[in-house]
Amino acid sequence: MKKLFKISAAAAMIGVLALAASGCGGGSSKKANVTNEMVKFGVTNFADNLDPADNFFSWVVMRYGLGECLVKFDNKMNATPWLADKWSISDDKLTWTFHINDKVKFSNGDKLTAEIAKESLERTFKLSNRAQSVFQYSEIKADGQNLIIKTKNPTPSLPGMLADPLFIIIDTKVKDRDIKKEGPICTGPYAVKTYSKAKAVMVANPNYWDGAVPFKNAEIPTIDDPNTRAMALQKGEIDFAINIAAGDLQLFKDKAKYNISEIASLRTVLAQINMNEGKPLHDPKVRAALIQCLDRVTYNKVLLKDTFIPGKAPVPPSLDYGFDQLKDPNAYNPENAKKLLAEAGWKDTNGDGYVDKNGKNLEIDFVFYSGRAELPLYAEATQADAKKIGIKVNMKNVDYNVLDPMRQKGQFDLIISNILTANTGDPEVYLNWYWKSNINGSQPQNSTGYSNAKFDALSDKLAVEFDPAKRRQYMIEMQQILLDDGVALFFGYPKTNMVSKAGLVNANIYPADYYWLTKDIAPKN
Amino acid sequence: MTKKQILARIGQIVLVLLGISFITFALVMLAPGDVVRQMIAGNEDIMVSQAEIDALRAELGLDKPFFFQYLDWLGRALQGNLGFSYMVKKPVVEALWEGLPGTVLLSLASLFMMMVVSIPAGIYSAVKRGSVVDNIVRVFTFMGVSMPGFWVGLMLLWIFGLKLDLLPIVGGEISLETLIMPSLTLAIAMASKYTRQVRTAILEELHQDYVVGARARGMTESHILWKEVLPNAMLPLITLLGLSLGNLLGGAAVIEMVFQWPGLGRLAIEAITYRDFQLVQGVVVWIALMYMVINLVVDMSYNHLDPRLRKVR
Repeated sequence: MKKLFKISAAAAMIGVLALAASGCGGGSSKKANVTNEMVKFGVTNFADNLDPADNFFSWVVMRYGLGECLVKFDNKMNATPWLADKWSISDDKLTWTFHINDKVKFSNGDKLTAEIAKESLERTFKLSNRAQSVFQYSEIKADGQNLIIKTKNPTPSLPGMLADPLFIIIDTKVKDRDIKKEGPICTGPYAVKTYSKAKAVMVANPNYWDGAVPFKNAEIPTIDDPNTRAMALQKGEIDFAINIAAGDLQLFKDKAKYNISEIASLRTVLAQINMNEGKPLHDPKVRAALIQCLDRVTYNKVLLKDTFIPGKAPVPPSLDYGFDQLKDPNAYNPENAKKLLAEAGWKDTNGDGYVDKNGKNLEIDFVFYSGRAELPLYAEATQADAKKIGIKVNMKNVDYNVLDPMRQKGQFDLIISNILTANTGDPEVYLNWYWKSNINGSQPQNSTGYSNAKFDALSDKLAVEFDPAKRRQYMIEMQQILLDDGVALFFGYPKTNMVSKAGLVNANIYPADYYWLTKDIAPKN
Repeated sequence: MTKKQILARIGQIVLVLLGISFITFALVMLAPGDVVRQMIAGNEDIMVSQAEIDALRAELGLDKPFFFQYLDWLGRALQGNLGFSYMVKKPVVEALWEGLPGTVLLSLASLFMMMVVSIPAGIYSAVKRGSVVDNIVRVFTFMGVSMPGFWVGLMLLWIFGLKLDLLPIVGGEISLETLIMPSLTLAIAMASKYTRQVRTAILEELHQDYVVGARARGMTESHILWKEVLPNAMLPLITLLGLSLGNLLGGAAVIEMVFQWPGLGRLAIEAITYRDFQLVQGVVVWIALMYMVINLVVDMSYNHLDPRLRKVR
C-alpha cells in the first residue's frame, strides 16, 4: 500500500510538472496584430443554410455581414434608415412609402430598386410562415425608388418590423443561384465565398455602397463551446468572439490586449405569477410580500457573477422605455414583506417555520426548466429567500417541452421564462402576450388571471398610435401598472458581449442580436 | 455461423429495426409539449404565433392520425427514403451521409489509439502483476476512467492547443491536425477501461490448466503468451470492441461540441432539441443498425478466431 502511495505521488508530481512546463508556453494572444487581409470571428451558429426566408437563419445572414434590411435599429432599438433612406405614412395610416437609397448596390453590381425590394419581400412572405405573423399586407408595389406597402391593419411598428432580419433584401434578379447552398446575393459589406454550418468564408463586397470594406476576407468558424471559443481567442486563432462565458471574461481584462464590449440584451428573465381565484398568490399583499423578499441585486451581482443586470421592470434597460423612471413598489424589503404577510392573515402559529392560515401552510409551486443555467439558480434563490419570511416554495423542474402547455393551462403558482422582449424594436407584443386580459383564449400565454382595465385600455390605444413619443409613454405607463399590481418576479436581464483583440476597432455588441460583423469593425492601424 | 444462421440474424435485425423505429416515432410524437412549436423554436423562449404553428403542422402532415403518419414514414423508409429533415432542410439520408465521414474517422482513429495503448499495457500489467509498472498503469487507468470526457477534451485543448501551441484549437474541418485531440480524448477513457479488461482476461488465461501443461512441456513463456494465451484472451474483448465501435459510430456529441468536429453526435442532439422527428428516426435507425451489424460481424468472426466453435457445428 505504501509502495502504491509512493508511485501515485510520483505520477501526480510528473503530471504537475508537465502542466507547469506547459504553463511556460504563454497563453496570451500571440497574433495581436490584425491586418486588412483577413479577420477571423468565432461564433455560435444554428443555420444549416443561408436562405433568409428559412427558419431563423436570416439572423446568421445578417450576423455575418452579408444581408441588410430597409431599416436598422440603433443602440436604443429605435428604427433608423438603412437601405431605405426615409419613409412616410399616409393619413389613413395604412400606406407606408419607403424610399430606397439610390446608392445601394448588390455585391454583383446590380442596383437595388424598389421593384427588387418588392420581389424580395414577396418572396419572404411566400416562403416563410413567420412573415405573416409579423405583419400582413394587402399590397406591395414599386413606384420608381419608392416602395409602397399597404397594410391590412394600422401597423405603427412597421419600420421596426422591417428591421427584423427575416426581411433582408436579396437580389431577386438572380435566378440561377441555389440560395440554400451558395447563399443569397445581398447588399452587405461581405459576400459569401463558401458556407457550411462549421465555417463560413466571406470576401469583401466589391460594390459595397456604404464606404470601404475594412477586410478583404473574413473567416467565421463555428465554435459552439464557450470555453473553446475563449481559448481560440487567447491563442490568437480568432480575432474576435461573441459571448465569452462569464467565468472566462476576466482572461480578457487587459485593455492593452483586448477590448470587451458588453451590453444588456433584449431579454428578461421573469416568473409569471398565477393570481387566479383560490391560488395563494391571489392576494395582492402576499404577492407584494413575495416580491419584496427577493434580493435580486445579490442574485445577479454575486450568484450570477454580474453577468445579469438586476431585474425591476418588464422591459430591460437596453430599451428606451423608462427603466430608470419606473418606480418599483416592491423593491427588496424583507422586513416589510413579513408585515405584509401578517396583514394578510398569514402567521406561523405552529412554529414549523412557515406561515399558515386556517391550518394550512403558505405553499407555492415554482415551475422552471434547466435548459438555461440561470433559471434553476433563480428558482433556488427564490426558495431560500421566501423561506426566510415563511413561504414554502416547492420546486418543479420540468422539461422545456412541457413548460408552455403548463403555462397555458395555469398549472403553476410561479412559472419562469427567459424571453426576448422586442424582436421588432418595440415591446408591445411582449407586454400584450403576457398581461393583456385573456378573453376567451385571446391571450393564451396569460393564464395567470391577471386583468386590468387600465392596462387593456392603454394597450388598445397603443395598437393604433403612430407617434413614437406617445407609444413610448403608453408602454411606460403599462409597465408601471404591472409593477404596481405585482404581476411577476422580474429577476434580471442577461448581458451579452463581444471580445476582440486590441488590434481591432469598433467590435461592439448591440442590443439587437444580429449586428455582429459590421462594416465598422476594422483593423486599428 | 452457417448461412441459415446468418439469414436468421438478418431477419432479427429487420424485426428489431421495425420495433425501434416504431418506439422512437411514438416517443417523439407522444412526448409532452407541441412537437411543431418545438420544431420552430427549439429550446428558445421565442414568441411563436399559433398561425405559424398551424401552418407548419399542416405542411408536415402532422394533423393526420399518429399510426398513419408512422405507416407513411415506414412505406418511404422501405424504399430507402428516410424522409426530409425540417431542421437541416435536406433529405435525412443526405444529412446522415454528410455526418458519416467525420464519425467513422473519429471512431476508427480513437479505436486505433485505444488499442495501441491498452493491449500492450494490459498484457504487460498482467505478466508483471504487482510490479511498479502494473501499479502505475493501474493509477492511470483509474484516472482515465474517472475523468469526464468534456473535461479531458478541454484540458487537451488548453495544454496542446493554447499552452504548447502544437495543435489548432479551432476545428470544424476534417484533417489530421484536428483529428488528434478529439480521438485522443475518446481513446483515453476507452484505453483506461480496456487496459483493465485486457489485464483481467490475460490473468484468467494464465491460470488455466493448458498454460500449466504448456510450461510442463517446456514451451517458452513468450510462446505461451503470444501463441496460446493471447488468442484465447482476445475473444471476449472482441465482443466488447464491437459494442464500443457501435457506440462510437452513433456519434460522440459532447466531444464533437468541444472540438467542433463535424459528426453525427451533434446532428442527433440538434434533431432531438428541435424534435425533428424524421431526422431523429434516421439517426436512431442508423445507430441501431450499426450496433446489430457490427455484432453480427463479431459473431461471424468467432468462427475464424476459435476453431472449437466450428467443430461444434
